[in-house]
Amino acid sequence: MEGFFQALAAGLLIGAVYGLMCVGLGLIFGVMRVINFAHGDFMMLGMYTAFYLFTAAGVQTLFGNTVGPFVAILLAGPVLAVFGYFVHRTLISHVSGTRTASLEGEGHYAQLILTLGIALILQNGGLIVFGSVLASIRTPLSSSAWELGPFFDMSIFLNKARSIDMIVSLAIMTLLSLLITRTRIGKSLRAAADNPTAATYMGIDVDRAHRTAFALGCGITAIAGGLLATNYPFHPFVGLEYVIVMYAGVVLGGMGSIIGAFWGGMTIGLVQQMSTLILPTQLQNAAIFAVFLLIIFFRPQGFFGRMVERT
Amino acid sequence: MLRIEGLSAGYSAKPVLNDVSIEVGAGQFVAIVGPNGAGKTTLFKTISGIVKPSGGAITFDGVDLLAVPPPQRAHLGIAHVPEGRQVFPSLTVMENLEMGAMTESGRRDWQANIERIFEWLPVLKERRDQFAGTMSGGQQQMLAIGRGLASSPKLLMLDEPSMGLAPSTADFIFERLIDIRRQSGLTMLLVEQRVAEALESADHGYVLEAGHVVLQGNNTTLRADDRVRKAYLGM
Repeated sequence: MEGFFQALAAGLLIGAVYGLMCVGLGLIFGVMRVINFAHGDFMMLGMYTAFYLFTAAGVQTLFGNTVGPFVAILLAGPVLAVFGYFVHRTLISHVSGTRTASLEGEGHYAQLILTLGIALILQNGGLIVFGSVLASIRTPLSSSAWELGPFFDMSIFLNKARSIDMIVSLAIMTLLSLLITRTRIGKSLRAAADNPTAATYMGIDVDRAHRTAFALGCGITAIAGGLLATNYPFHPFVGLEYVIVMYAGVVLGGMGSIIGAFWGGMTIGLVQQMSTLILPTQLQNAAIFAVFLLIIFFRPQGFFGRMVERT
Repeated sequence: MLRIEGLSAGYSAKPVLNDVSIEVGAGQFVAIVGPNGAGKTTLFKTISGIVKPSGGAITFDGVDLLAVPPPQRAHLGIAHVPEGRQVFPSLTVMENLEMGAMTESGRRDWQANIERIFEWLPVLKERRDQFAGTMSGGQQQMLAIGRGLASSPKLLMLDEPSMGLAPSTADFIFERLIDIRRQSGLTMLLVEQRVAEALESADHGYVLEAGHVVLQGNNTTLRADDRVRKAYLGM
């Protein structure tokens, strides 16, 4: 019983960060309908950006070992957002948005090849620049825990770093949903996603909306990456390990649903941690995909997806 | 206000509009009628910039419209109520109207506009928090019109507002449009297959067939024309 609650708690903690990671991808897919295969590698860049901001750019000396990593992680978000903005402007915009509205398959083939190309460049470029040695953003909090309880003779231990990761994830998620639902920019992003042509009639610059979504998506995933890096070491090819989880999360949540992607990621975190109760650790990913297939079998549109395609 | 001269446009190699010239004066209500496939919707898409013309010129309020990027055209005061309504299904009625008010004038006059829109189309007020995608076709059409009005436009372009609606709903929408016109003095350009109603309420009409303007005139001359009577009015 104690093991069950411990795994549940661990699942919720990691799930919130996975959720944030999936939301970055879900935002891009939801607004632009572009499948970004390089998203895991944007996250890897986010991890290294946070790492170097912490160790080399003076964040460590300014904020110390406990707060410093989180400051660096939050700063990596805007850095990657700017990077994403320029990647969209120089590359992605050529194969998406209004330029491809009249193309066959809406330019999906070109998008596929382009984002795979960007992924390869980032991975191998990362190998050249950062080297293949494992890096990590350790804080003293990574190896200490809060004890909850005891309730009925059992205590649950919450890793301090992961708990803060979860709080940061939830805070960013709240800000994002306020942005999407309440602000003029957020509403125009949703309008551009719903119907790009009608959005143009309203005076919304659809390509600019896409650029905003891409930048936001990269920034959010970069922060999620940084948060993961407080507990998991990383390397230039780490994106490959996470991009599958991201896609599973987005599909589970319902393609196109931004809030759904968060719950998709949360589900994956929970399944991953709970599976350790009955399965050996090596089979964690197998458990994720077994549950994934089960859910998709019974609810093919995902948690928040719509059966009917948009008009 | 809107002057279209010698406009030609089409999709890839297939020409749809051929040397079309149309003029809409300030405060006028102009109707463009014609059969399916005559190029009426393409004409509207060219004005809004979704289709690029192969020749000709469009000026709006003295501005060369073809030099203005498509998303900027709404900000000049052109509201396009598209064929098939095209409301934003996952946004609420209120949010759809807010999207209409993306223009500067729409934001400035928001409060006054929304009151008038709710007065003209009360169903939008009743359903303000409903998702647009869950409304009936007639309600969506009213929302599309309301969304156009929310931008405080100088010119309201309506592409077949009666399409796919029950005759009684289409009648209702027509009456509303005439009321809106009378009360606001708004300049309107209407594309319609319900020729009788369109020509009855418009000041001026154009008949578009196979990409050409074959006939034009004010509402009495057009309705008296033998060809129009035979082909469109069934008389």
